[in-house]
Amino acid sequence: MSNIELSFTLNGKKVEAAVAPVKMLVDLLRETFNLTGTKVGCREGECGACTVLMDGEAYNSCLMPAHKVQGREVTTIEGLQQADGSLDPLQEAFMEAGAVQCGFCTPGMILNAKALLSKNPSPDEEEIRMALSGVLCRCTGYRKIVQAVKNAASESRS
Amino acid sequence: MSEKTDDRKKVKVLTKERTDLLPFVRFKETELAVAGQSLTRTDDPLKVTGKLKFGADYSPENFLHGKILRSPHPHALIRSINTTKAEQLEGVVAVLTARDVPGRNGFGAIIPDQPVICDDKVRFVGDGVALVAAETERIANEALALIEVDYEPLPAVFDPRDAMKEDAPKIHERGNLLSYDKLRKGRVEEGFEQADVIIERTYQVPFLEHVYLEPDVVMAYPRSDGTVLVEGPMQAPFTVRRNVAPVLGLPISKVRCRQIHMGGGFGGKEDSPIDLGCRAALLAQHTGRPVRIVLEREEVTIQTAKRHPMIMEIKIGALKDGTLVSFQGVIYDEQGAYASLGPKIPPAGGSHVHSMVMMPGPYVIPNVKVDAYLCFTNHPYGGAMRGFGAPQVHFAHEQIIDELAEELGISPLEIRRKNAFELGSETATGQVLDQSVGLRETLEACAQTFEWDRRSRETGYIDRDRTRRRGVGIGMGWYRTSIGTGGDACGANVYVHEDGSVLLYTGITEMGQGAFTVLPQICAEELGILVEDVRLVQPDTDLVPESGPTVGSRSTTLMGNAIIIAARQVKQSLVEAASEMLDIPPERVQFRDRKVFDADNQSNSLEFKQVAARCMATGKRLIGQGWWAPPASSLDPETGQGVPYFVYTYSTHMAQVVVDVETGEVDIEHYVAAFDVGKAINPRALEGQIEGGVAMGLGYALMEEVVLKEGVIQNTNLQDYSIPTALDVPDIRPVILEVANELGPYGAKGIGEMPNIPATPAILNAIANACGGRVRSLPADPEKIFWAIREAGGPPER
Repeated sequence: MSNIELSFTLNGKKVEAAVAPVKMLVDLLRETFNLTGTKVGCREGECGACTVLMDGEAYNSCLMPAHKVQGREVTTIEGLQQADGSLDPLQEAFMEAGAVQCGFCTPGMILNAKALLSKNPSPDEEEIRMALSGVLCRCTGYRKIVQAVKNAASESRS
Repeated sequence: MSEKTDDRKKVKVLTKERTDLLPFVRFKETELAVAGQSLTRTDDPLKVTGKLKFGADYSPENFLHGKILRSPHPHALIRSINTTKAEQLEGVVAVLTARDVPGRNGFGAIIPDQPVICDDKVRFVGDGVALVAAETERIANEALALIEVDYEPLPAVFDPRDAMKEDAPKIHERGNLLSYDKLRKGRVEEGFEQADVIIERTYQVPFLEHVYLEPDVVMAYPRSDGTVLVEGPMQAPFTVRRNVAPVLGLPISKVRCRQIHMGGGFGGKEDSPIDLGCRAALLAQHTGRPVRIVLEREEVTIQTAKRHPMIMEIKIGALKDGTLVSFQGVIYDEQGAYASLGPKIPPAGGSHVHSMVMMPGPYVIPNVKVDAYLCFTNHPYGGAMRGFGAPQVHFAHEQIIDELAEELGISPLEIRRKNAFELGSETATGQVLDQSVGLRETLEACAQTFEWDRRSRETGYIDRDRTRRRGVGIGMGWYRTSIGTGGDACGANVYVHEDGSVLLYTGITEMGQGAFTVLPQICAEELGILVEDVRLVQPDTDLVPESGPTVGSRSTTLMGNAIIIAARQVKQSLVEAASEMLDIPPERVQFRDRKVFDADNQSNSLEFKQVAARCMATGKRLIGQGWWAPPASSLDPETGQGVPYFVYTYSTHMAQVVVDVETGEVDIEHYVAAFDVGKAINPRALEGQIEGGVAMGLGYALMEEVVLKEGVIQNTNLQDYSIPTALDVPDIRPVILEVANELGPYGAKGIGEMPNIPATPAILNAIANACGGRVRSLPADPEKIFWAIREAGGPPER
């Protein structure tokens, strides 16, 4: 099978790649673009560690054929930091609230929260928990992660 | 107790003031500047930006992909293996079988009984029978499919009780009973004669998977100097080294193990890096190229250690007023195919002995008898998982205490008030608890925060349809700090440099628990500098002193003491130099916030770095080496009497649940967990341990189980093996109490494992309180709850 040529926007930059039809987005990001902040935890869309944003929506990149990103805008955890080094309010909030332990789920958690806040800037606790329920965390018990998202939301509003 | 709030992060802590701790750790609570602060974790900036590299994020130059061919049979002889076709596949560099192992063909955390590559026999579905190294992962997988193995299946055994029978298939030459341990205190028969009420129950728990989010990964590099480097996330780099060396036929000094930040371990990454480390190193040695083995999730589930399943029979007797008088327990502890961390390391190491010691619970009982059998089966093997044999027995003793209270007509709170350990209590092993015993304090603080009196009245149906019933439950627990063996020491090196910056070398690994923040906090506290001045070096067996494994809730306490000793050696030089520079007697020199000053005149001060520079310029020693081992443990092999562990953490949890009596579904509405931790070095990080631990205990209670059929795991990935999500875990309220440990840094004792242990029975007790049905076999999924309600005669009338 021949490779598929594609071009898309990755963390704000136009990029091109040639991928096999069976290539998954997570492998393209990690192997070709060296964006290893996107993690592999289960390869079946259960753990959410491979979450990326596509046109602002959160997706499991382990279930997404790479060629599906043609013409779209993809953001990984590496893309949240501004060029001047400043962090996204969610990244700050995660550190401040103690929402990070081993850190393996953290990129997926932050990107799911990012997708939530872009649609709903004032989510209540239930909405936050629902939005994060696709990402598994074995370390934190989720409480401080939920708190971090609440804090980031009120920070952005004020 | 005095109440104080950590202003930086709003964590409330109740403290018993102490000023006379461990001879060398004299301190005043009010004088601590860094220890006790909820500082932001040092590794957070890399973790929130995705920059922190985990093992699988590294692609060594010119590396090969390693893969393991696993047995599909639970028990079989290997008649022959043909690797010719696999070897001929283009891109395959090596196919190894048992005859390619140059040294000892065995590894294991305690006994090296697991073959690196099976020779004549396989003992579980997942045993490694061949190894492949290939240019790509795809080729490596294709090669596995081309290896032909001729097996002769043998009868298998899957129940520890069956395994002990005379005619049971023999799994190892030594027999199927790996360990039989016993505990004898007082006279149980006389105790039962005194008792007004006696009940007998059986409890059962399944295999549990750790589900650390990061699948296991190891890289091995052959070096031109004849050494081999093994890298990966490892809880016990020294144990990996101890195993890899004899397998390769090398001295320990020629194997180097280097830690990479870990995406969760929970005990599971004590065993698996030994397994993968030996296999990757063997492939690297054979091919002369770096080899990386990354497991897929399914492989993690099939191949790696689990929490031990157990069947526990208990008979317990009490007087009318609730006073416990006699306890008799039998444990059938299933080890699975290999010894792993199950068997005893004298005097009190290994998970099995720990289960036995913990079985009667944190209660004063004058007559106790426990018989504990640890048996091989043809299942995956049991290893360490957050609690190391304690979650299982807590599930049993906390339920039977409630069942007994119900029989006696007293409340779950009262029976615990009556019997719980306090200062001076004697445990079932005859240990007198002579310091740092805050169990009753946790019970009262938990009851107050939870509002037990009110909530325990507001139970029963909560809806008009009479389908949902509310209930409350208590779980109490204790957990050791340390591992109960002779080899429980920690070493630390502290190097101070002339610019005031510090390197800290320890063998304790970061797996998410916060060691890389808490250990620098202790170092900075001692030297009177800031955490950012201390760089903690990744554990590397070529660089750091032997520290034992990062297990047993031992790191903060044991390594903390070693760091304090090391820092104080350096401080001796700094005090001498500062005394000359400030022209004051040495005893007046003090350190705080990067300043070195005269205690009687604080304006007479120097920068820390000025003093460090003077030491360097005048040849004073700026290197400290600390070594700390806990007091020796003891346990008589015949009676189980002695002092197995030197100090314990204590805890009480309370849960409020709603059970749907028609479907068996459970909602956890409210949850409080109180702990006596000795001293919280970083209270917010400690809260994180509590909240995460409770979530894990909740998974054990309600949903988790490795499902096995004829030795084959049925739920190898996360679609079928469910762990709690953000929607399952309630808003847990942690309560932190500090009853100082005289033998801990600033009074600290362990916290890593304790939080998940009482959570499971607290939830089970709340379920029974809500619906009247008691589930004695985990997990308490809706089906089991449904049947428990039916067994109890249907949902309660009112």
